[in-house]
Amino acid sequence: MKVTIKNWVGVATWKWVANDDNCGICRMPFDGCCPDCKLPGDDCPLVWGQCSHCFHMHCIVKWLQSQQVNQQCPMCRQEWKFNNK
Amino acid sequence: MNVENWRLKIRRKHNELNSEDLSPVSLTRYSEFSGVKRKRDTLEIDENMSDNSSDFSKRANFSAITSNGINRNLNILNLKPTTTKKIVIKNLKSEPKLPDDFREQTWGKLQEAVLAIQNSRANEYSLEELYKAVENMCIHNMAHTLYNNLHVLIDNHVRRNIEQFLAESMDRFLFLKKMNETWQAHCRQMIMIRNIFLCLDRTYVLHNAQIASIWDMGLELFRQYIMANTLVQTRIVEGLLMLIEKERQGDTVDRTLLKSLLRMLTDLQIYEKAFEEKFLVATERLYAAEGQRLMQELDVPDYLAHVDKRLIEENERVYHYLDANTKPRLIHTVEKQLLTDHVTNILQKGLDGLLEENRLNDLSLLYSLFGRVKNGHTELCTAFNLYIKKRGRTIVIDPEKDKTMVQELLDFKDAMDNIVATCFNKNEKFSNSLKEAFENFINQRTNKPAELIAKFVDSKLRAGNKEATEEELERLLDKIMVLFRFIHGKDVFEAFYKKDLAKRLLVGKSASVDAEKSMLSKLKQECGGGFTSKLEGMFKDMELSKDINVAFKQHLSNTSQELSAIDMTVNILTMGYWPNYPLMNVVLPEEMVKFQEIFSKFYLSKHSGRKLTWQPTLGHCVLRAKFKLGMKELVVSLFQSLVLLLFNSHDELSFDYIKGATNIEDGELRRTLQSLACGRARVLNKIPKGRDVEDNDKFRFNNDFVNKLFRIKINQIQMKETTEEQKATEERVFQDRQYQIDAAIVRIMKMRKTLSHNLLISELYLQLKFPVKPADLKKRIESLIDRDYMERDKDNPNHYNYVA
Repeated sequence: MKVTIKNWVGVATWKWVANDDNCGICRMPFDGCCPDCKLPGDDCPLVWGQCSHCFHMHCIVKWLQSQQVNQQCPMCRQEWKFNNK
Repeated sequence: MNVENWRLKIRRKHNELNSEDLSPVSLTRYSEFSGVKRKRDTLEIDENMSDNSSDFSKRANFSAITSNGINRNLNILNLKPTTTKKIVIKNLKSEPKLPDDFREQTWGKLQEAVLAIQNSRANEYSLEELYKAVENMCIHNMAHTLYNNLHVLIDNHVRRNIEQFLAESMDRFLFLKKMNETWQAHCRQMIMIRNIFLCLDRTYVLHNAQIASIWDMGLELFRQYIMANTLVQTRIVEGLLMLIEKERQGDTVDRTLLKSLLRMLTDLQIYEKAFEEKFLVATERLYAAEGQRLMQELDVPDYLAHVDKRLIEENERVYHYLDANTKPRLIHTVEKQLLTDHVTNILQKGLDGLLEENRLNDLSLLYSLFGRVKNGHTELCTAFNLYIKKRGRTIVIDPEKDKTMVQELLDFKDAMDNIVATCFNKNEKFSNSLKEAFENFINQRTNKPAELIAKFVDSKLRAGNKEATEEELERLLDKIMVLFRFIHGKDVFEAFYKKDLAKRLLVGKSASVDAEKSMLSKLKQECGGGFTSKLEGMFKDMELSKDINVAFKQHLSNTSQELSAIDMTVNILTMGYWPNYPLMNVVLPEEMVKFQEIFSKFYLSKHSGRKLTWQPTLGHCVLRAKFKLGMKELVVSLFQSLVLLLFNSHDELSFDYIKGATNIEDGELRRTLQSLACGRARVLNKIPKGRDVEDNDKFRFNNDFVNKLFRIKINQIQMKETTEEQKATEERVFQDRQYQIDAAIVRIMKMRKTLSHNLLISELYLQLKFPVKPADLKKRIESLIDRDYMERDKDNPNHYNYVA
């Protein structure tokens, strides 16, 4: 062996695994954060419903709170259930 | 003697009081309470006695003043008040009469005395005698005649004196001298005469308001004759002017003579009428000519020095012999002729040179002189502003100077600040104008200055830049922030700064975290949190990565998998914060892929719902390489390591093979090979030799590699930034701007509902903080119309309606 690796500094970028680019409620990109937050990351996470739709957590919680009767997904009108996979 | 007397009295008084066994204080008490009459009597007696004693002392005092020798005897006499003598005053038997020829005789005496004084002869009568004579005449109602006679006498004398000047045609200087002598003599004589006739002044003149005092009469007569004989008057004035001009030309002249004669004119109250006007006209003429001439002949600094000298001279002139009231008009005349009329000329001809050569003293002088002129500072300020714009433009506009632009700008700013501070008295108008000018010229070339400032900061913040201490760096950053403030396209700066910052952070090249943080806080202060939120996010990512790596190491040691000894660290970036990097799929050696997998698994177990994408372009490694002459450590990029690792199994490889085995993008691979085989440290040998990498080239591991260092950094050859990368950055900036324009248009239209095209454009220019072309705005409006955010008015195509 002429050459061996002693140490290695790798670089990786992370992204949310979402089925859309933008949040269906605030229309902000998932790479960013919801309008109430300043920085994306663990402080402004995404959540998935069982209907497979995905939103900023802050956005969907706000939406669910504003609903009087049924808790529905704003995209498909199915009953909203968090998908805790 | 009288003191003794006093003591005697007091002692007697005391004895009396003591005999009653009472102190003076208790005595009064006693009398108050019991009201015994006898006590009161003693008190009264006492008072009487004290009265007497003071009487004695007074008399004694008086006698002491008059004649010291006999006071003893006098007191003895006075001590016997018992023998009173009566003195009776009776009327005179016959009224005393003045001698008949009293008037003639006395006047004769006085006349003779006055004539003697006027002709500087010795006086045969004593002054007291003369004084008495005047007093007597005043007492006996002859004051009027006396005054008139005196008037005639002085009149005659003055007339004779002045007339002698009419006849003689002598040299001007002599003439002045003689005039001065005459005047001095006149004054001297009049003082003498007034002293003798003091009584007349004090009684007769004082009681008749319309009659002038003797001194004033003398002046009045002198004035009359000088005024009457214009020839004399003009000769005096001309002579004076000649002397002054001579002095202005640099000769020394008799200042006392000048002063005395000018005082004479003032005293005679003809200074303003006869002299001042002509003097000012002469001054104006002289300096008008001089101003014209010297503006041609002299350099501006010399000219200014000359003007300053002139002003000092004229001030001195006022101080030494001119009347103080002349000063404002005289100085004004000089200023007007030497400065006001030449303001534009001076500025055009000299200011640029002075600023260029940084001649602080001359500039200070210029500033103070122009302060005298109306609007002088405004004009100077305008010229200063123009100079900065002109000079600044030459720094900014020339692409050849791009390398040194920022440093030059900093130096230029320093120099100008220094001038404002030291020469222009920190005048706010000037410092504002300075800022305005900088802002103006820096933005004459769009984007480039912002880019270069960002790169300049990068070069200063990068590690290995040991030229400055922390404080110096801090100060430098402050100065750069001043330049940054002037720049309109702050987003361009941000884009480039972000790119460079990313590089510094990922490669670990940043010189000091403190300096980075301080720069960041400066930017935040300047442009607000929105501007820096992404930059801050980058720092946050770096900190999070550190924690993750610690946890990852722990995880590795816990699981104790069979792995080669690679020390792996990973920087995890949040997509939104960092610049976009091109995605590349390269072939990694098996062990590295394994590491990546382990790490990805570890990371995703901590952060669910995420996806990791590896960025091979940004990675770098330290390799241990075995050469014939020993071990070396190579600090290389990931691409470089991939290439080098291939040589573990082969000695010689072709370009095509390497390309296939690593799957590195063509251009990137060529640059990588070039850095390894043609750079400073050649760990590979290229066959055939040459600077550029061709398709058919072969590469061979350089076993004979020699370097005196153990740890060697092999630099990546940078892509020519001027082309692609730079374009990309600018493109990104342009993209960002389009969103901002869209947002601004919608904001405005939402508020106004309907708006004409021109009004919309002008409002946009108010809102947008970066330079835009009207054509770009039009494009954005079209695009918004297409997307149904707004529409053209049906009746008026120049109007837009907001569509809700």
